[in-house]
Amino acid sequence: MVINVRGSRRRLALTVLVVFAIVAVFVVRLVDIQVVRAEALTSEADKRRINTVTTYGVRGSIVDAQGDVLADSVERFDITASPKNAQLDTTWMTKDGERVQVPTTEAVQAIADLTGADPNALYAVLAQNRDSDFQYLKKAVTLDVFTKVRDLQIPWVYSELHPARSYPGGAIAGNLVGFMGTDGPLAGTELKQDEECLGSTNGTSTFESSADGVRMPGSTIVQKAAKDGGTVHLTIDSDLQWYAQQVLAQQGTALGADWATAMVVEVKTGRIMAAADWPSVDPNNVDGSKVDDMGARSFTAPFEPGSIIKVATFASLLNEGKITPTTQLMVPGIYTDGLPAGSSIKDSWAHGDIPFTATGVLVNSSNIGTAMLSKKLSLKKRHAYLEAFGFNSDTAVDFLGESSGSVLPVSQTDSITNLTQQFGQGMSATSAQIAGLYQTIGNGGVRKPLTLVDGCEWPDGTWTEKPSTEGTRVVSESAADTTVKMMEMTAQEGMIKDIIRIPGYRVAAKTGTAEVAENGRYGDQRIVSVAGLIPAGDPQYAIVVTFAKPDTMRTSAAAAPAFSAIMKQVIKTFRITPHSKGAPAIPTTW
Amino acid sequence: MSAVNGNLALLRPTPQQTPEPRRHLEIAPTRAQRRARPRLAHALVTLGGIGVILVAQLLLSFALADGAYEIAGLQGDQRDLLREEQALDEKLELLGSTQNLTANAEALGMVASGNPVFLNVATGTVSGTGSKSSSLPNNMIANSLLDGSTVIDPQTLQAARDAEAASGDTGGPTVVGATPTTPGTIPSPETH
Repeated sequence: MVINVRGSRRRLALTVLVVFAIVAVFVVRLVDIQVVRAEALTSEADKRRINTVTTYGVRGSIVDAQGDVLADSVERFDITASPKNAQLDTTWMTKDGERVQVPTTEAVQAIADLTGADPNALYAVLAQNRDSDFQYLKKAVTLDVFTKVRDLQIPWVYSELHPARSYPGGAIAGNLVGFMGTDGPLAGTELKQDEECLGSTNGTSTFESSADGVRMPGSTIVQKAAKDGGTVHLTIDSDLQWYAQQVLAQQGTALGADWATAMVVEVKTGRIMAAADWPSVDPNNVDGSKVDDMGARSFTAPFEPGSIIKVATFASLLNEGKITPTTQLMVPGIYTDGLPAGSSIKDSWAHGDIPFTATGVLVNSSNIGTAMLSKKLSLKKRHAYLEAFGFNSDTAVDFLGESSGSVLPVSQTDSITNLTQQFGQGMSATSAQIAGLYQTIGNGGVRKPLTLVDGCEWPDGTWTEKPSTEGTRVVSESAADTTVKMMEMTAQEGMIKDIIRIPGYRVAAKTGTAEVAENGRYGDQRIVSVAGLIPAGDPQYAIVVTFAKPDTMRTSAAAAPAFSAIMKQVIKTFRITPHSKGAPAIPTTW
Repeated sequence: MSAVNGNLALLRPTPQQTPEPRRHLEIAPTRAQRRARPRLAHALVTLGGIGVILVAQLLLSFALADGAYEIAGLQGDQRDLLREEQALDEKLELLGSTQNLTANAEALGMVASGNPVFLNVATGTVSGTGSKSSSLPNNMIANSLLDGSTVIDPQTLQAARDAEAASGDTGGPTVVGATPTTPGTIPSPETH
């Protein structure tokens, strides 16, 4: 047998060649698919397989000191439709548990009945947008409505999530909480704390799905994690806040006042327990309020406060050792000493010479007596004290749009303002600043930063933004305590003593009836206030109540009933037990 | 013919020069080598193993796919339940709002207390001087989320109680308002 060696070699070479050729073809194809067209093919494949979804971060809540919710994120649903896919004559829907073909008008009527929309308008949306694949039928329906609409199983009706905001307390603290617009926060804490705490960010994630839309296990990739917002803890007690607002509304309406504010501050800590404004916005129904009522006047509306500022004057004088509670002075009926010709300072009642003690000047709220005593201290020092008590600067709350009021610089203070600002005319302050003054006096002369926000609690339980609680001493403890005693005499013997008396309790208070400057001169409009401390023996809470421009009564007696009611509520809310022993007895005249 | 026949030589086939078939020679394996040679059983085991693995993989993929549907279903359920929880939370917050509570308190005839008075439980002494209670004020603090539907109607509540009492001779413990007819009525045991 002859073996054709040459022939077999040829065959082998041919085979190898063919194999290589085939491999080469595959390699070329492989490179083409894997390298040259890789991107296009991958994206084509992803499109068929990978779904991208938005994951929603939840905006944080705003809660009060007890954790009662004041603002909360809720889920609403937009009912949408694809008019392109809807036939105008008949459609399928589930009716009484059965799939039936019904006239489209009937399906539209069913949606309208559930959502409260106008059926004709809904039908028009379908009829007039025949080429559209996406139209809103009804925005922001509740879960109940959404579930019922979904159960109709109308093939061209879809839905999407619509995160919304709810304020279960309505106008309670509405001025502090603020509200949201369609594109984000517009006022109050909602806006102020938006970036620091409340704001959430939406994320995206992708997953692969099978032909019937079921998510393939292990295929979820989070592109960007959604971040939930934190919970803002306010210092206020929403029940007390409601009570204060209610009292302001009742009394304000009865007096025909323009607006009113009330603040309750814990003197040891500077925490604001209530910052009530009347009128106040209901964040659920912002359109129902006037623009002026949408903020918090207690922080944003400075006014000439009148005699409630005298407390600062007396505390300064006591601190400098210039007066004692029994310093004697003869108060005339009119005061012109050192004032420009034609100018004079008067008291709110006509009188001849009265031998008042310093306490008597405060108790009877004599402007003349206060002016005379003020002269014992230089303007520069008095100005420094007013600033140290917090006037002329924002409170530590730094509320949105907060005003710092105004005390003129020493160089610009004329000889009248020099004295009038010591009894609250010719200067202005907000209710919050006045509350800060009374907090300082009640806390033994140490001013604590006012706080409205206890902090931000993140979803993982950590807290940030805890406010500073470091105080600054403004006057000595004995000066502050003596001032409280003098205020207690005011509560015992002043003109509103019968209104603010609470059996079993010692109260320190000061009234203020300020003239309102309008068009450059003082008219007959008044801003009336009562500020005080409870219990006077060991002050725990500072309360300031103010009514602006009341019509029916223009003395501080107009504010006293509201002050008294809020004070009683503070006693009940914080369980301050009765203690009436040790009330001071300081002579008011000599 | 016989000559012909005799001439006929017996044609014998010339013995063909066929080549000797090549002897297949091989080295006789030693016993150890013979033992080490792959056997059919090994191939069967390997193939069977691969088969089992393939089948197992198939079953696993079935289970996984099945699980995917279950996961998808449960995730849907979870989402629905979370939504329901949030909706109920929202409702609870609204029912717990001060405005709603005062309105209900007023409907039930409750009044506001006067001066603060404290009872010392340890000594039984009362401190503070009480004053006349006053009727609750009409709420003036707006809450547009409330439409009045959450306020208890005392008459409906009483009617429900009467109905319960009338049909309550079954001997079992009476629970008043166990099936509330109006939203907001709370079933409570009748205690005296």
